[in-house]
Amino acid sequence: MTASSERTAASREGVRDFLAVAVGVAAWGLVTGVAMAQSTLEIGHAVAFALLAFAGSAQLAALPLMTSAAPVWLIVLTALVVNLRFVIYSAGLAKPLSGLTLRRRAWLSFLVGDLPFALYMRKATADPNWSKSDSYLAGMGTANWLVWQSSSITGILLGARIPREWGLELAGTLALLALVIPMVIRRVAAAVGVCAASLVAIAANRIPLHLGVLIAIITGVTAAMLTESLERRFQRLRPNAESAT
Amino acid sequence: MILAPMDPKEIFIWSAILGVSLTTFLTRGSFILLGARVRLPEVIDRALRFAPACALAAIMVPDLVLVHGTLKVAGNPRLLAAVVAAVCFLVSRSMILTIVCGMAAFTAIRLWL
Repeated sequence: MTASSERTAASREGVRDFLAVAVGVAAWGLVTGVAMAQSTLEIGHAVAFALLAFAGSAQLAALPLMTSAAPVWLIVLTALVVNLRFVIYSAGLAKPLSGLTLRRRAWLSFLVGDLPFALYMRKATADPNWSKSDSYLAGMGTANWLVWQSSSITGILLGARIPREWGLELAGTLALLALVIPMVIRRVAAAVGVCAASLVAIAANRIPLHLGVLIAIITGVTAAMLTESLERRFQRLRPNAESAT
Repeated sequence: MILAPMDPKEIFIWSAILGVSLTTFLTRGSFILLGARVRLPEVIDRALRFAPACALAAIMVPDLVLVHGTLKVAGNPRLLAAVVAAVCFLVSRSMILTIVCGMAAFTAIRLWL
């Protein structure tokens, strides 16, 4: 295959892998849009917010503060804390993307949200020989952007017409659930980390500025790493034990 | 964009929108934009493999078990729907089916229980 047809194939593969989770993204975008429209934001502001930020959780975190006219620095800081997980994602992508031009890297930075990162990492972990194609990420990211923006703008336009008791935002949460389960199945360390993160997130939910989420992530990752160290030590003590995969 | 003098409310909303958008781009771009010049220590590299699952759980789980900031396990329709969805995922491994089953369970509980 030529380099350009390889890129096209990788890009198509990214779109195809994204389509498996597109319903969840569409539901999440729709819900974010509806929430924007049901706040005090005008339609133009809400659409601009969706197009420029392209970050459902940060937008939803900022919204109540914008409605209550909180200081801009507090709104931006809240969004920053909610977004800190992206720094972790970005660190994971720095190496595979390091050969690209600055413009290409900036474009991919704009596109990478929770789902493209998780799917990319899942693929890279499942197949160590995979070429870690940036075209795969770009194809997936573009499809994600299109689905999220169109559903988000649809949500803004539908606005208050969708009754809140339908609980449509639950669909977005269920999509996250279907994403987390395969990450913890038969992986003790990851499962311990997810349990610790969940418990801390529940206990710390009253801490302001969504800092509880950040504390929960740090606790969960630490617990997972400690468990992994214990697992390794345990395996060294029992050299005949079945090696972990 | 808008050339006419803006009133303070417009300035407030646009600063918030642009500020939030900028933090999103800068956090997503942080290491990607710095490139390979910045190397990750091994410990961070290990942490990376656990971070996405922990982050998603930290966002998702409180959304399922908290009702107006208070823990509610028994008789919580969202949590029940999530349990149905989780079982559905373990059986089918399909995200679409998981969402459809979960939402159907939630709607049934909401309407008939």
